[in-house]
Amino acid sequence: MLSSLGSPRQAAAQLMNFGLILSTAFMMWKGLSVITDSPSPIVVVLSGSMEPAFQRGDLLLLWNRNVIEETSVGEIVVYNVQGKDIPIVHRIIRKFGTGPEAKLLTKGDNNPADDTELYAAGQDYLNRKDIIGSVVGYIPFVGYVTIMLSEHPWMKTAMLGIMGLVVVLQRE
Amino acid sequence: MASQEKITVYNLADLKNTSDDALTNYLTSLKFTQSHRLTDVRLALGYSAFLLSAACFLWDYKLGFESTKYLTAAAVAVYTILNSALTFWIFYVEKGTVYEGTSPSKSTKIKVSTKTNKNEPVYHVTVEVEDLKSKGGKKRDVLTISRPFADWFDAAGRFVAQPFQTALATGVPAIGEVDVKRVAAVTKKEEVGGAAAGYTPELLEALANAGAVGGEGDASGIDAKKGGKRRKA
Repeated sequence: MLSSLGSPRQAAAQLMNFGLILSTAFMMWKGLSVITDSPSPIVVVLSGSMEPAFQRGDLLLLWNRNVIEETSVGEIVVYNVQGKDIPIVHRIIRKFGTGPEAKLLTKGDNNPADDTELYAAGQDYLNRKDIIGSVVGYIPFVGYVTIMLSEHPWMKTAMLGIMGLVVVLQRE
Repeated sequence: MASQEKITVYNLADLKNTSDDALTNYLTSLKFTQSHRLTDVRLALGYSAFLLSAACFLWDYKLGFESTKYLTAAAVAVYTILNSALTFWIFYVEKGTVYEGTSPSKSTKIKVSTKTNKNEPVYHVTVEVEDLKSKGGKKRDVLTISRPFADWFDAAGRFVAQPFQTALATGVPAIGEVDVKRVAAVTKKEEVGGAAAGYTPELLEALANAGAVGGEGDASGIDAKKGGKRRKA
């Protein structure tokens, strides 16, 4: 099997094929980021706070450009709290002011109270720049794969390893 | 080498890859000088695309999305261009080329490309021969050989070099000139079978030379098995 790694050029070519699969996937993701103007254009719902609209494991497609109109009350948005790394999907329920300085308040449809408690200490509202996108579409259940992968990190390693092995050992 | 290793005879990719490797080895053994131009360009395109995306990953990881947005957009555009160029290169320039090189006498340049069709165990070889010595414009010849893999793989999946090399040496005069012995083995077979297809002046010349060497080849018993069959016929 190792003879399939013949000359240095052949080995380099096979390594390149593997590298290009990873880098193409990454660049497609970045391309989508650039088009939607969102650092993370596809997110997975991790909690039930937006039920019945979204359930755990739903895949959300985001759009972060205000081409026609501003982000407004009623829209479901994904935002990042300052200092925390987990994006949250909730609905905008109040808005004061306009433009990038507008103050926004969010709440989960399934939560009894608004999000002020979720925000960082001393933060009472969100700004437009905290939002990484408005939900424009969703695919149910598909996201469960990534929930599984992130809850069991060894799966990620195993999957990557198997993919790499297959590509290196198999020509064409 | 390849002849020691068994492959699965039902795996077309294995058949093709082993034959491709053997082809390169054969031509190298004949002192052909291989040119790596096509592969090197492909590697350069592929690796620069990969390095670009690695750099993009790094600055995205270190500096975040917002501050590197335009740089990332540019990188995505350049990456798309590089990748398209790579695809173009593989499909329209390389076109399945497995060997490119010049003959030991520096008189001809050959470019060998191979392909197989799905579910058909036949090796299609296309050889572009360019005469470097001819004056007044380059002379270019395109030869095609299509042979079943069964000609040079035994039932167990072992590669047998001799018939493979014979097929190439006979089908391509530029190779036959260098490896006269292999052409010789076929001359007799063709005389027996009465199959005389597409003789070129070079091939006739090679055949004439072969007559002298042919006897020697038989006597030395290079291919005892084949020789035996021939005598029976």
